Amino acid sequence: MKQNEFDVIILGGGITGAGTHRDCCLRGLRSLLIEKKDIATGATGRNHGLLHSGARYAVNDPESAEECIRENMILRRIAAHCVEETDGLFITLPDDDLGYQKTFVDACRKAGIDAQIIDPELARRLEPSVNPALIGAVKVPDGAVDPFRLCAANMLDAQLHGGQVRLGTEVTGFIREGDRIVGVHTVDRRTGENADYYAPVTVNAGGIWGHGIAAMAGVEVGMYPAKGALLIFAHRVNNYVINRCRKPSNADILVPGDTVCIIGTTSTRIPFEECDDVAVTPDEVDLLITEGAQLAPALSSTRILRAYAGVRPLVSADNDPTGRSISRGIVCLDHAQRDGLEGFVTITGGKLMTYRLMAEQATDAVCRMIGVYKASYTENTPIPGSQVKSYEEVAGKIWEKPSAAQKSAASRMGTRAADISEGDASVICECEEVSAAELKLAIDRLSASTLTDLRRRTRVGMGTCQGQFCACRAAGLLAEAHGCVEKERRDLADFLQERWKGNFPIGWGDTLREAEFTQWTYKHVLGL
Amino acid sequence: MRFDCVITGGGLAGLIAGISLQKEGRSTAIVSTGQNAMHFFSGTFESVKEAPARLAEIFEAAGIKVHYSAGVRLMPMGTFREAELALGDVDIFPSERFASKALIVSFRGEQGFFTGFLADGLEKAGIACRLAAIDRSSGIKKIAAAVSGLLDGEDAVVLPQVFGQKDSADVEYLREAIPAKVVFAGTQPPSVPGIRTQMQLKDYYISLGGTFLQGDEVTGAHVHDGVVHSVVTRNLDSHYLEADCFVLASGGFFSKGLLATPTSVVEPVFGLDVDYPADRSEWYDPSFAADQPYMRFGVKTDVALHPMIAGESVRNLYVAGSILGATRPEFGTGAGLAIRSAFAVVDSILKP
Amino acid sequence: MSYQEKTISNHNFEECTKCTICTLYCPVMKVNPLYPGPKQAGPDGERLRLKNPWFFNYALKYCMNCKRCEVSCPSGVGVADLIQSARIKYDKSAPKLRDRMLASTDFMGKLARPVAPLVNFGTSLGITKTALDWTLGIDHRRSFPKYSGRSFESWLKKHASKQAAFPEQVAYFHGCYVNYNNPQLGKDLVKVLNALGIGVQLLDGEKCCGIAMITNGMSAQATKHAKHNVAVLGKAVDAGLKVVATSSTCAFTMRDEYRSLLGVDNSAVRDSILMATRYIYEKLENGAKLRFKPDFHLKAAYHTPCHMEKMGWGVFTERLLRMIPGLELTVLDSACCGIAGTYGFKKENYASSQAIGEELFKHIREADPEVVACDCETCKWQIEMSTGYTVMNPISILAEAIED
Repeated sequence: MKQNEFDVIILGGGITGAGTHRDCCLRGLRSLLIEKKDIATGATGRNHGLLHSGARYAVNDPESAEECIRENMILRRIAAHCVEETDGLFITLPDDDLGYQKTFVDACRKAGIDAQIIDPELARRLEPSVNPALIGAVKVPDGAVDPFRLCAANMLDAQLHGGQVRLGTEVTGFIREGDRIVGVHTVDRRTGENADYYAPVTVNAGGIWGHGIAAMAGVEVGMYPAKGALLIFAHRVNNYVINRCRKPSNADILVPGDTVCIIGTTSTRIPFEECDDVAVTPDEVDLLITEGAQLAPALSSTRILRAYAGVRPLVSADNDPTGRSISRGIVCLDHAQRDGLEGFVTITGGKLMTYRLMAEQATDAVCRMIGVYKASYTENTPIPGSQVKSYEEVAGKIWEKPSAAQKSAASRMGTRAADISEGDASVICECEEVSAAELKLAIDRLSASTLTDLRRRTRVGMGTCQGQFCACRAAGLLAEAHGCVEKERRDLADFLQERWKGNFPIGWGDTLREAEFTQWTYKHVLGL
Repeated sequence: MRFDCVITGGGLAGLIAGISLQKEGRSTAIVSTGQNAMHFFSGTFESVKEAPARLAEIFEAAGIKVHYSAGVRLMPMGTFREAELALGDVDIFPSERFASKALIVSFRGEQGFFTGFLADGLEKAGIACRLAAIDRSSGIKKIAAAVSGLLDGEDAVVLPQVFGQKDSADVEYLREAIPAKVVFAGTQPPSVPGIRTQMQLKDYYISLGGTFLQGDEVTGAHVHDGVVHSVVTRNLDSHYLEADCFVLASGGFFSKGLLATPTSVVEPVFGLDVDYPADRSEWYDPSFAADQPYMRFGVKTDVALHPMIAGESVRNLYVAGSILGATRPEFGTGAGLAIRSAFAVVDSILKP
Repeated sequence: MSYQEKTISNHNFEECTKCTICTLYCPVMKVNPLYPGPKQAGPDGERLRLKNPWFFNYALKYCMNCKRCEVSCPSGVGVADLIQSARIKYDKSAPKLRDRMLASTDFMGKLARPVAPLVNFGTSLGITKTALDWTLGIDHRRSFPKYSGRSFESWLKKHASKQAAFPEQVAYFHGCYVNYNNPQLGKDLVKVLNALGIGVQLLDGEKCCGIAMITNGMSAQATKHAKHNVAVLGKAVDAGLKVVATSSTCAFTMRDEYRSLLGVDNSAVRDSILMATRYIYEKLENGAKLRFKPDFHLKAAYHTPCHMEKMGWGVFTERLLRMIPGLELTVLDSACCGIAGTYGFKKENYASSQAIGEELFKHIREADPEVVACDCETCKWQIEMSTGYTVMNPISILAEAIED
């Protein structure tokens, strides 16, 4: 096999692509993943980070609910360092129909979800931030999952099993032999270099951008972009996931994750042209705060860190041109069967929660097409970092008296934290406690080439100061690693721009004080 | 307690006003909520060209060294900016190529001094650079000796601007002792020369008999018929501070002189009229690098720098410093705005 | 819309903009590399502790609770409150015998008072100090406050009827130090107030303010004391009395720490608790007169204790002292003396404690006064031990300056 020949090419560096890449590699395929930007830049990194129990779907979409609870239990096992086992509450407020609770619990139990009605008083005790006016509560095995970490760990495992990755690389066209796709033309967006890669199967795992990829291949996948806006609050207000026990609606999930909590979402159809640059509107912000305060009243007096939005790739069940029959279920299309186009698979629909199952189905399809008969074993194989379940235990094994940054590293990296035990312990990001060693490892081993890439892999710049103090320090590390100061100067400006984009929609109170301080520092004091 | 004048805000504007009034024999108090933006001072004064005689007098009496010469200064990220009036620590060069070869020395383990960016900037200006790192030994003499020992034909040394929290003796010593042109480049905030300047001004103010209430906060005021009678502070609670006149120099958003809510921008102590557009979407420019509209918001004032409540001037209250935003463009921005508006307020107060 | 008015954070630690000013003014950070500093220990650490209490760091015990971080914070964050609250909430280790002894200032006082000469002799002996050092971890270089043979309370009770005869009345929270170690300071206060026509009453059974318990991991006991004191203070306040104190730490603890650290509601009494210097200054400002000795002369340097600095009341003491004819006053640059109550008594803190105080000691030596004036008894011990200069409470200076 030549350098540019593979068994499979996967398009898209979101969680679906990363999971498929890993599964392919674990099954011994030579796999190449191509991503236009960076890992987890699409819907993967722009959601709640909710480890669904499936309860939310139990009433309306029992099939999704069953998938969720199954994958939920698998992720707790194989991705321990990406998961927080918080449990969740579905609360009934005085305005809601308490009668729905029974329908809900019955549906959950039918789907295999351990849903337990608890006394409202107990709910208030378990989760002191919950709206004290609640009249009913159900406890379910919801949790939190860090999608950046999960995506990076899947990528890393693929790499450890021989997989290759081209980030910042865009597919410009397909290479065809008759009715068969045999490869892709690409351009490296940073260097402008063109390259062709060949494989008997190409997997389209481009999320909402998969629509365009399919079109480029000459097939149509009925997708509909739905924007969802979310708000990040500056600290963890809650420790349980809080949902409304009613038919799913806007801004009715509050998820605690790492040092913050996130309220969302809205749902608005948008045109494809807007997918690359979605903005949160003032109306959406207002709605999220108002509805969020219904779940946890403290949100109305908590500093908001950022507003952001993602685009859900909604898929019509199949070939329905009206788009009415939308499913949240997994859609795995073998275009040979569907469209007569050989060597092309689209994996879409589904959700973050079911990425592993999606990856398994896509990899099964790939294996079928190239005649490899190996079963997936991702269900029982921990991703790198998740070999030990508790991060407290991990830190205790590595350090006698772990510092805040070392404890934080263990909570982010799991067992991989051992790799930085000897490195430069100076703290670069003080809000999120990220050390120089952790950043250097992300540059060397997780292919981070910009500050934004580093943020996704380490949480640098995600904290209260939003990069005010750490961005210039981390930029120094990147400039050193890449040997190019001029590029880093631009990267730093891009990073600050990206932070500001999430700040100004909620630019008041302490958020504006921080922003004023940051803008003043970089412009007038540092002279960027 | 009764004073001739009570000043809210212990930053540059408040201190300049307090010092000037004390010098004219007025008794004053300054209420300062913690430390302030002087701690992030870049070292050059925007919007003030040559120091006017009265400013130079204050700086000299306070032991603050400044110098004037139009040119460019080196910024912490390796860029150059035009500058005219600067603290003694900050060099102003006639052109960017201030040396032919420079040695950039950092202290091991200390962050916030951007050697890579500085070297890149200097090389673009035609100055060959070499980087070195030393341990921060105790004693300025050892540091000077260590740096001198590293020199290898360089005609300039660039050091982090971290010397002399109390006075500029160490800065001057390094310039004397190292046989090359010594240039201090800024670090990430806080700024040591800024802190020193703040302390020197505060000490000078106290030496003139001023009362500096550190860590206190003006929480309210008694205003009747367009006249302020007293202010209330968090620490002194029922013990009001009374005065003939009052100065508000409480800063911008960062210092909480102005407070933004999602629907309004308010001045929290007196409820003064603030100039800002009602539509929140007009408060920001989506580009981080652009001049931000919100930074221009400020308290509305009349000719004599009296602010207004519901359109009516408050006759014995004056406003100075960044709480003015860009509502009084004649005073400029940044340090210049603080100094020039403070002097204008003092003139207004002293006018017979 | 109403919701929007509320979205200004009222979670105080979120007002931190990470500007790092507090770290510049933390006296501990300068000398103790084990201490993570007020920003990390306070608002930064708080976010992590909310994520998982496991992030609590035992190095928070190095915080002296001097509150200088709060005085310097441009954002009004209760940094030291966050640190001390975290210790109360998360530090589950039982306090050592040594810490319990140091914290029980009134209990120890009660035990020691009847046998005061013996105790004073004992604690001044080198061998006893060495034993305390080895067995308990109380540093042998420390000198101990002397215990007095007769308590202030018993003295004042004897004079109760004379005090009741004054037309105006005030209650006095004397604290453990005046009661057991220095009753003379209490007598000095009575002299000054009597000269103003004000009689002095005891509270109906005050207890130690509890600060030493708070900082030594005994918050449950401290809370009991706080509730007791709020109740007895309440009786005095209901009777229309102000309550004065001569110890800045006692006053500060009862005004601010009861509520912010112990969650004890003191709102009914807080504003009535005043430092004696503020109370007397306000009287004089409103026209009351004291007759000063015509030939009084003293060169004094005023050191503002940390808690006085935090309350913002140094200005009252300073102005009061300046009213004394013949008093030549220097106000020292505000700096921590390093003792921080019981902190400096601990073997592990001795070196830090002395290093922190060095800047102040230097200023004192430069000013070279006849006495150092200071509103805090633990500062007094530290300064006297470390510099050899005599330290007097401003009230005692005032008492000396007025006619008998």
